[in-house]
Amino acid sequence: MKKIRIIISLCFFLISLPVHGLTQELPSNQECRHCHSNPNLKKVLPDGKVISEYVDFDLFYKSVHKKQACVYCHIDATNFPCKNLQKVNCQRCHYKGNLAGAPDLIKYKEYGESVHGRATALGDVKAPMCQDCHGSHYIFDKADTLSRTNKEHIPQTCGACHLNIYDIYRISVHGEALRKKHILAAPSCADCHGEHNIKEHTDPKSKVFLTQVSVTCAKCHANMELIKKYDIPVEPVETYRESFHGVAIKFGAKTVANCSSCHEVHAIFKSDDPRSSIYVDNIPKTCGKCHPGASENFAKGKIHINPAKKEAGIIYYVSQFFKYLTLSVMFALIIYIILDLRKKIKVRRTGEE
Amino acid sequence: MEMFFSKKKKELEPKVSLDKLQGEIEQEIWDDLTKDLSLTPHLKEEIKKLVKERAREELQKELKDRYAELREEKVEIPPPEEKKKEEVMYPRLSLDVRIQHIILMVSTIILIITGLPIKFHELAWAKFFFSAIGGLQVSRILHRVGAAGLIGIALYHLLFLAFSKEGREIFKELLPRKKDLKDLWIMLNYFIGRKRERAKFGKFTYVEKFDYWAVYWGMVVMVLSGLILWFLGTALKIFPKFIADIAKEAHSDEATLATLAIIIWHFYNAHLNPEKFPMNWSWLNGKISEEDMKKEHFLEWVKIREEEEKEIETKKAEEGKFKEQRGENIL
Repeated sequence: MKKIRIIISLCFFLISLPVHGLTQELPSNQECRHCHSNPNLKKVLPDGKVISEYVDFDLFYKSVHKKQACVYCHIDATNFPCKNLQKVNCQRCHYKGNLAGAPDLIKYKEYGESVHGRATALGDVKAPMCQDCHGSHYIFDKADTLSRTNKEHIPQTCGACHLNIYDIYRISVHGEALRKKHILAAPSCADCHGEHNIKEHTDPKSKVFLTQVSVTCAKCHANMELIKKYDIPVEPVETYRESFHGVAIKFGAKTVANCSSCHEVHAIFKSDDPRSSIYVDNIPKTCGKCHPGASENFAKGKIHINPAKKEAGIIYYVSQFFKYLTLSVMFALIIYIILDLRKKIKVRRTGEE
Repeated sequence: MEMFFSKKKKELEPKVSLDKLQGEIEQEIWDDLTKDLSLTPHLKEEIKKLVKERAREELQKELKDRYAELREEKVEIPPPEEKKKEEVMYPRLSLDVRIQHIILMVSTIILIITGLPIKFHELAWAKFFFSAIGGLQVSRILHRVGAAGLIGIALYHLLFLAFSKEGREIFKELLPRKKDLKDLWIMLNYFIGRKRERAKFGKFTYVEKFDYWAVYWGMVVMVLSGLILWFLGTALKIFPKFIADIAKEAHSDEATLATLAIIIWHFYNAHLNPEKFPMNWSWLNGKISEEDMKKEHFLEWVKIREEEEKEIETKKAEEGKFKEQRGENIL
């Protein structure tokens, strides 16, 4: 009996241990809210920058982390006043087989290999981490219009750092379609550059590497549904692949034009827009990048020609002329050969002319 | 000949004298052969002999069939004695022309091999070719080497036609004439069995003329369009872009046409034709056998033989004169 009593009291002790003994009480969200709901709460960084420490708790309670306590992420915010907190590490919860039930997205590997991940690993403090793109307190599902990773918001999210590029993209045909016309089929940054796996454009694995550009653009510009729906002119990707530029790039030429060589990278405009690199007056300059001394003659004629279609103009008729010339000549020659062979076999078999 | 037999068919009775019949056939062949020719006496004799042989063959064949029909059994008629002659060869292509042909051939093969993979880039062997040869850049350089060879030989050929006696003569012979159409009509009738005789050709048959002029057409299209694509920057200083686009389309399409013509037409006529297989050796040895000469260039053969006869006669006459002179001197 004595033994049983000892075991039972030991059990009670062990059960009550976490509550009383080894852990100290963590501050609740209510306690944090005490200070951080003040819109004027600010912090001065060592380099003189002033950042707001205000948290919109109403918005936070709508986010995907609404059920989480502040201290689950800010693990070092245990004492008041909470000074010099570390950056939050998302991997604390979002890992494979975690017990907290956080979605395991396994994007870390992609991120680690990306241009951003490698810069972070090398200690670049400017390089973005998870919260820089996804947001810190206000993380929403990407379908939610409040989300920073919602398609319509991605340009601003990336533009927070890449301001000069955002400035160009914003007015480009893609930017206007997405921002002003709310066409969700129009590409945001991530559609061309990728999401977590963003690479430098000089990396052969990059979606915007020179040999990959036509593949990336083709996702939309070879999609007949989109072409018809948004009235995108001609069949640019197919004709590019048939052109010498397209063939040369396919077989490893590095100094040949891809889509963005002519249409620009971010400053893409419609061909009738004077700002466009392919506006008729700008074509000599655009072609001149590779063909030194290109004159206005480069603009006299269509580009992206499909000789099989009437829109190709005179090239269509040249192609048709050769098509019928070849067919008729070959037909006549083959008939002649068959007649000749037939006669020769006959002569050989019967021995008479 | 057919006409002749069909007329005689009803009249033909065992009574008809064979010699008379043979004589008639001979006359018919003779008339047919020498309709528009004037011949030297010596040559006449030789052709007459050939005609006699031919008439005998024809008659025997006809009789054989006829008697077999009548008696319902086959009559064996011994074949004419085979005479073994040493084959006489005639010159066909000069060394100059043969070298021109070889340069044209090598250039064209290089151009086709390095050009087609660009047109048919979506096919697997195009990728294989470029990786085997060391990349597109190497292939482009080779294509230009081939182009230089082709343009060079084209220019040389034009000079050859203009400034050499042989060239001018060949060119005259190669000009298309009405006779070529007539010959084609005769040959087509011969193929389907409406005529028993082949057409009589001169130095060049219409097949050879077609080959020659097809290359002219191809050369003009390929060289002009090729030069525009080669020197695109310069070309676009002069012409608008759509001219270059036309050049590209024409270059690509004419290349296909030329390749097909070579593979189908030229390969058949010079290689795969059962009479020529594995090839017509003239392009290497420059010669043609008398048999082929008679069959394919009968008029040319007659012309050459006549010239030979004349030469012999003039020689004889000269020798005679010489002898007379000597005789006079001696006297």
